Amino acid sequence: MNDIAANDPAGMAGVLPAQTKIAVRGLDFFYGGARALKEISMAIPEKQVTAIIGPSGCGKSTLLRVFNRIYAIYPGLRASGEVLLDGENVLDPSYSMNRLRSKVGMVFQKPVPFPMTIFENVAYGIRHHEKLSKADMEVRVEQALRRAALWDEVKDKLKRSALGLSGGQQQRLCIARGIALKPEVLLLDEPTSALDPIATGRIEQLVEELKRDYTIVIVTHNMQQAARVSDRTAFMYMGELIEFDATEKIFTKPSKKQTEDYITGRFG
Amino acid sequence: MSSIPATTEPVDVDRRSRTDARHDALFRLLLKACALLVLAALLGAALSTLWGGREVLFGHGLHFLASDAWNPVTDDYGALAPIFGTLVTSLIALVLAVPTSFGIALFLTEIAPAWLRGPVATAIELLASIPSIIYGMWGLFVFVPFMSRIEPALNDTLGRIPLVGKLFQGPPIGLGLLTAGIVLAVMILPFICSVMREVFRTVPTRLKESSYALGSTTWEVVWDIVLPYTRSAVIGGIFLGLGRALGETMAVTFVLGNSYNITSSLLMPGTSISSSIANEFNEAVGTHRSALIALGFLLFVVTFVVLLIARLMLRRLARREGN
Amino acid sequence: MAAVHTRRRVVNVVALTLSGCATLLGLVFLAWILWVTLKNGLGAIDWKLFSKITAYADQGGLSNAIVGSLVMDAIALLICAPVGVLAGAFLAEYAHRSKLGATIRFLNDILLSAPSIVLGLFVYVIVVLPMSNLTHGAVSFSGLAGSIALALIGLPVIVRTTDEMLQLVPGTLREAALSLGIPQWKMTVQVLMRAATSGIVTGVLLALARLAGETAPLLFTAFGNNFMAWHPLDKMESLPVAIYQYTNDPNPALHAIAWAGALLITLFVLTLSLLTRLLFSRKKVPHE
Repeated sequence: MNDIAANDPAGMAGVLPAQTKIAVRGLDFFYGGARALKEISMAIPEKQVTAIIGPSGCGKSTLLRVFNRIYAIYPGLRASGEVLLDGENVLDPSYSMNRLRSKVGMVFQKPVPFPMTIFENVAYGIRHHEKLSKADMEVRVEQALRRAALWDEVKDKLKRSALGLSGGQQQRLCIARGIALKPEVLLLDEPTSALDPIATGRIEQLVEELKRDYTIVIVTHNMQQAARVSDRTAFMYMGELIEFDATEKIFTKPSKKQTEDYITGRFG
Repeated sequence: MSSIPATTEPVDVDRRSRTDARHDALFRLLLKACALLVLAALLGAALSTLWGGREVLFGHGLHFLASDAWNPVTDDYGALAPIFGTLVTSLIALVLAVPTSFGIALFLTEIAPAWLRGPVATAIELLASIPSIIYGMWGLFVFVPFMSRIEPALNDTLGRIPLVGKLFQGPPIGLGLLTAGIVLAVMILPFICSVMREVFRTVPTRLKESSYALGSTTWEVVWDIVLPYTRSAVIGGIFLGLGRALGETMAVTFVLGNSYNITSSLLMPGTSISSSIANEFNEAVGTHRSALIALGFLLFVVTFVVLLIARLMLRRLARREGN
Repeated sequence: MAAVHTRRRVVNVVALTLSGCATLLGLVFLAWILWVTLKNGLGAIDWKLFSKITAYADQGGLSNAIVGSLVMDAIALLICAPVGVLAGAFLAEYAHRSKLGATIRFLNDILLSAPSIVLGLFVYVIVVLPMSNLTHGAVSFSGLAGSIALALIGLPVIVRTTDEMLQLVPGTLREAALSLGIPQWKMTVQVLMRAATSGIVTGVLLALARLAGETAPLLFTAFGNNFMAWHPLDKMESLPVAIYQYTNDPNPALHAIAWAGALLITLFVLTLSLLTRLLFSRKKVPHE
């Protein structure tokens, strides 16, 4: 399997004419002694949606968690190799946390609103990074909520607890919270797996709209979702990047046998 | 969202990261200091009582541990009588509280209908939140008179049995080791019971069910499956109760009778480490005070060891639960 | 075969009956103690109790003891609540899996059931004696020393509940906050503690219930005072100590006052315990 990766180390075949936003080079990841990612190399294009698919335990979420170094809050986890964001290695300890986290936002599998009001949920992150006047802050929060297609539903109850929102609304609130910091990259970790089909549809629509301004990487176990929302799809298996190509190609004529087996449902 | 202004300069962002990191380090230090206070409290309690009792502990040495004299007039102090009283009352408390707690835990986990479990469990746990001074008052004004009416009967029945009988012969005054032990038993019962109840619930249902399927009775399931499965935690719970009993002051000090006796009869008055300290400390000076603090040191060391064993036994269970 | 069968049934029935009796016995003792306290206490409660000080003995009340208890309990909470919450946060957030964390958690559980009278001696040696030496006897026993002793009783309760409650907060909330660039200290204080507020409050109330009834650690720290005292550096009376002294007195009129005080404390402590139970059962750490 290493041969495969070596033949096409960056998964660059058929790359669209777009700028590379995140370039991953020779990335390894270790949980204690166990190697969870094996020499991943890939180029994630700017202002497109990149989906990462694969069976559970393949390392797709782990890969996403390396992009904003969130894994570093747990002891015993280690990444080696390079993740270049606009040409700078974010794994380098000198790449500051505030810089990284204000450039790369993340939305998680389960909606996790903070135990605060709806307004505060969005304002909380901004407040840490910028000093804004009250009026400016209100504008920023409204902008973010509008972008997350939530404004109309919550504009009359901004002072109420966010915990009272429905699951789908909470997840859009989390997206609003992420984009309120004006990041350049949005990482979505199975953002709809805890939602009903209608809420899922709204989020997918939102992803479609957001890619005009953001580079989006979405991890999903739902292949139809990947096919619907992404421009490029990466297939991972057992910690390795098997294939990374235009979504259409991955789903119609994948070049690797494993990819084909997976998308036709023969395993996983 | 058409115009996205550059939010902040990179230099600024990096500086803020450094500030954040510094604040994080300071915060961590503050938290750690607070956590270390817990260690300091335990260590301090041991060292300060060792220091306060040094005159007697080091000056009188073995005599202090081995003598049953307690004479403030001649400044002759031996810890044997208070140690005896503490151990005997705690032992009585365990002998009574362990089976009772076991019975209650059994009732609450296996027998009682679901609607009854919550209220009864709460009631039993309320026993633990009644302040010990209340136990003391109730003991002195209500339970001692009650015991003094029962004790003649004890004299005539249990007191007649050879060997064991000696324990139950004595003046029926109500005060004494037995009464103190019973009051202690009521006090520590909720602690032992709540541990037992908690660990009985950790027994996997399939274990119990497979035994019931073989035709076992409820009692057999509890005795042959539940109890062996939870043995170490149950022992931990018992030691926890013992630790409480050893260190209890107010509940026993009124009903013990406060006399420096080592007797074979449980109906005789006695004293305990904690009640000696409580009764005499504020009138004591010099060597007397030092002797009382030294008693405190002994009490601390003994309870520490007992509680250490209790927690070690309980921790093993916590680990198994984690798996 | 049938004999064995019958014997097993009989053993079972006897054991289950005994278990029911044990439960009944426990409940009888609870009812007995509460009933006696209520009966004797209610009979002795009157206005004098709250308006007169203990210096008038059987013509007096417990006002100075009530004030002393309130003052000392409040100061004790002011000391042990912040320290306990921060220490609990250390265990849950910074030392969750470390050796040091495990050690402190373990010893905290021991402190939780350590004999309170020894903690009183500890405070006597480290606070009362040095104060007395420092001020040449002007200040020795004091309300402050009593508060410190009580704080040591409450501390492990708060440490433990805070630790447990913060561990119940889902890890995703931490990840979500950190992924916004929020530093860990801010996240701990503003997000996690807020999410665990009801649990932490429960811990503080439990600690209050625990320390409010304590007598032994006050005997040689706050000592007692037959007059009204507000200043924390004065000797201070407290309800449990007043009850202790009056119970030891042969005068039945004082016993009545002691019962009234006992009723006050018992009501206070039991109300707190039931309240925490209520809070705890509704405990809402968000997200499951």
